[in-house]
Amino acid sequence: MALRIVIDVLIAIGAIFALAGTIGLLKMPDTFSRMQASTCISTMGVIGVALGALLYAIFIMNSASTAIKIAVIALLIITVNPIGAHTIAKGAYRAGIRPEKRMETDDYGRDLEDE
Amino acid sequence: MQKTRFPAVLSTFVLCFAFWILLTWSFEIQELAAGAVVSLAAALFAARFFIHEKSFRLVHPRRFFSLLAYVFVFLGELIKANLDMARRCFGGCRDINPGIVKVPVDLPDGYAQAMLANSITLTPGTITLDIAEEDGKSYYYIHWIDVSETDREKAGDAIKGRMEKWIGRIWK
Repeated sequence: MALRIVIDVLIAIGAIFALAGTIGLLKMPDTFSRMQASTCISTMGVIGVALGALLYAIFIMNSASTAIKIAVIALLIITVNPIGAHTIAKGAYRAGIRPEKRMETDDYGRDLEDE
Repeated sequence: MQKTRFPAVLSTFVLCFAFWILLTWSFEIQELAAGAVVSLAAALFAARFFIHEKSFRLVHPRRFFSLLAYVFVFLGELIKANLDMARRCFGGCRDINPGIVKVPVDLPDGYAQAMLANSITLTPGTITLDIAEEDGKSYYYIHWIDVSETDREKAGDAIKGRMEKWIGRIWK
């Protein structure tokens, strides 16, 4: 019983962070800030849900293979995600996408102009 | 292009085979043999893209335990940054002050720099855009959702936190 509560709380934490990320994704003003908000989904959202599912697979389903697959899925999402995020952000900047509001500082744009 | 070296092939093979076992999770001799053949083929093809330097650098107690400790250091930073980001999102996304800062990195090794860049990108609120080298020093360009420091050193301390020190320990 206590275990079920722990599992539910972990999955709820993951869902809350995914909700936060989604709200940010819809309401942030420019491309880069939207990407920042979406990172919430792929880190805490995935970790919370995967931990809950991992406990469920180990203690309730009693299935080692399911547990290992869940762990591998979480590990893969977490290791591969930043590469995509970095490439999309860099590509967007190089393709000329700029925030509407002026940025606080923009060292990258300044150095690109120097080249 | 780099030549295929035996230690690189061996370590790639071990990684592929471990993944095969984790994904299939059956220990019949047929499955293991098929996995070994596929892993060897994949390792022969991919080793030269995958590993460029010492192949078994992490097989070393101090480095390995630093890596384990780093997982927890990183989780701590991750939770802090996630709470901050969730607060901003639920607060209507108006409390932001984005900008791109240039931050110095003190890690000499390419793997370590890539690891720190990915860790920074995974932390909500910061995305690494690019790495540049100037006068022998490396710099990251980081998009930061809340630019509270424009000074490079201080911004670097605020963004990298304890992560840089621990990654330095892993790859020393």
